[in-house]
Amino acid sequence: MSALGALDGSGRAGNGIDPTAPLARANPLAKLAVSLTISMALVLSVDVVSAGVALGLELLALPWCGLAPRALARRGWILVVAAVPAAVATAVLGDSDAPVTSGLAIGLRVFAIGLPGVVLLATTDPTDLADALAQKARLPSRFVLAALASMRLFGVLAEEWAALTMARRARGVGGGGPIERVRDWGGRLFALLVLAIRRGAVLATTMESRGFGTSRPRTWARESRLGVGDLLIVLGGLALVAVAVGAAMAAGTWDIVIA
Amino acid sequence: MSAPRSGRSVATSAAGDLTVTTTAPGLRRAHLLAIAISLVIAASIWLVGLPESTSLFDTPLSTLTVPAALVVAFTGITLTGALAAHRPWRVVEIVIASVLGVTGGLFLWVVAQAWNTVTAPLSFFPPASAILAGLWLVPGVLGGLVIRRPGAAVYVELVAAVVEALLGNSWGFATVWYGLIEGLGAEFVLALLLYRAFGLPAALLTGAGAGVAVGLLDSFVYYPEFSASYITAYVVLAVISGAVIAGAGCWALTRALDRAGALAPLGARGTVRI
Repeated sequence: MSALGALDGSGRAGNGIDPTAPLARANPLAKLAVSLTISMALVLSVDVVSAGVALGLELLALPWCGLAPRALARRGWILVVAAVPAAVATAVLGDSDAPVTSGLAIGLRVFAIGLPGVVLLATTDPTDLADALAQKARLPSRFVLAALASMRLFGVLAEEWAALTMARRARGVGGGGPIERVRDWGGRLFALLVLAIRRGAVLATTMESRGFGTSRPRTWARESRLGVGDLLIVLGGLALVAVAVGAAMAAGTWDIVIA
Repeated sequence: MSAPRSGRSVATSAAGDLTVTTTAPGLRRAHLLAIAISLVIAASIWLVGLPESTSLFDTPLSTLTVPAALVVAFTGITLTGALAAHRPWRVVEIVIASVLGVTGGLFLWVVAQAWNTVTAPLSFFPPASAILAGLWLVPGVLGGLVIRRPGAAVYVELVAAVVEALLGNSWGFATVWYGLIEGLGAEFVLALLLYRAFGLPAALLTGAGAGVAVGLLDSFVYYPEFSASYITAYVVLAVISGAVIAGAGCWALTRALDRAGALAPLGARGTVRI
């Protein structure tokens, strides 16, 4: 469950990630803007050139992301798992005129869209992201902070799950055939959801008792800063998208799927 | 729906904030006027038609007359519905919506991990994978039915999508755009019902609305090479899946949560209205 560890902040230090790399220490908002722009642009068209150029430029930027090859492999395997079957399925089962090219386009697109997300997750602390979203993007702070607080429930939920399982076992509930097992699983999931909601209600009371959600102006323990570096990263992301789309247009492969 | 109605009263609870004691405003004359104006604009767009000379992506604008009229009418009604039902969110509502979003994100992440394996047997008929599309819509519909607030469906689905993307899936941050649009699909139906109906029919319609959103989005973005009949089949299956899995499923789940007492902090509701 390394992915869960990353979300509740326990799985960050070490792990082959250099937090001082230029892209890693950038404001999360800049990284998020780049990821969202790239995904938006590449989703619009399925073609080898835009996906290939975007992926190539992303790989060129990778040395500044502070991810060691092992860290990248551990977090990026999911892209391989998704890209290869999708590409093969399109090439073999699809009915396009150039099956290999469309398969390649689909596969490259998965990598090009997914890689910025992998980097963002690996190099960003959710707390920094929430601070940036509330202070710089001016999203409603009550919602951002409540979402951040709820993410911290992940670790607790894992413990609750273990407790529920043990309690059921002690009572002799569950086990048996596959149907019994599925029902038992459903029962535990429902109980987990009830526990999560109850915890949410208690959390809300606690937060309010400490003055959360009043109409007074909020102060921030950690100030989120946007610097010149962040501007450069956003401009770099826009340039990446422009080059990828421009190359596809020049090559005549750009094909907006909606049209 | 015609006469101004007093909104539901807000029960304060141990976890609620004690300052909210007013009743939510119902439909006022201004709201009805706004709905009427948007309907008039929509009707005039439909009667006059959009110009044929201008075109967008090689499509003459005139073919977009009916969709444009529908968009104007629905947007007017939903925005007015949302405004009429608007009052500030209580902290407990925000936190519970966030909890639903985060657990929903975990759920979506599990679905995403299993997606390729589960849909592989369905590849004999490519649009058939849409029968599972309703799974993606569960967080938003659940959020809308549980929180019963303008924006709840969008917020919960969006948080779930962000959490899914952060946990890591094969679609990266494209998931966030998906979450936004799926949430809007559900939100749209709840707003059309003016945030007053949350029973089984309303839940089925909400799931179906989100199904329309995900069906169209998938067939434009993910399966652009489908033929028109495949796209129709895909959207119809997605709507059915949304209504059954997300709509009926979340209705049953909301009722079960209410019976378990988990929704008590959100105020009195009783099983009649659910």
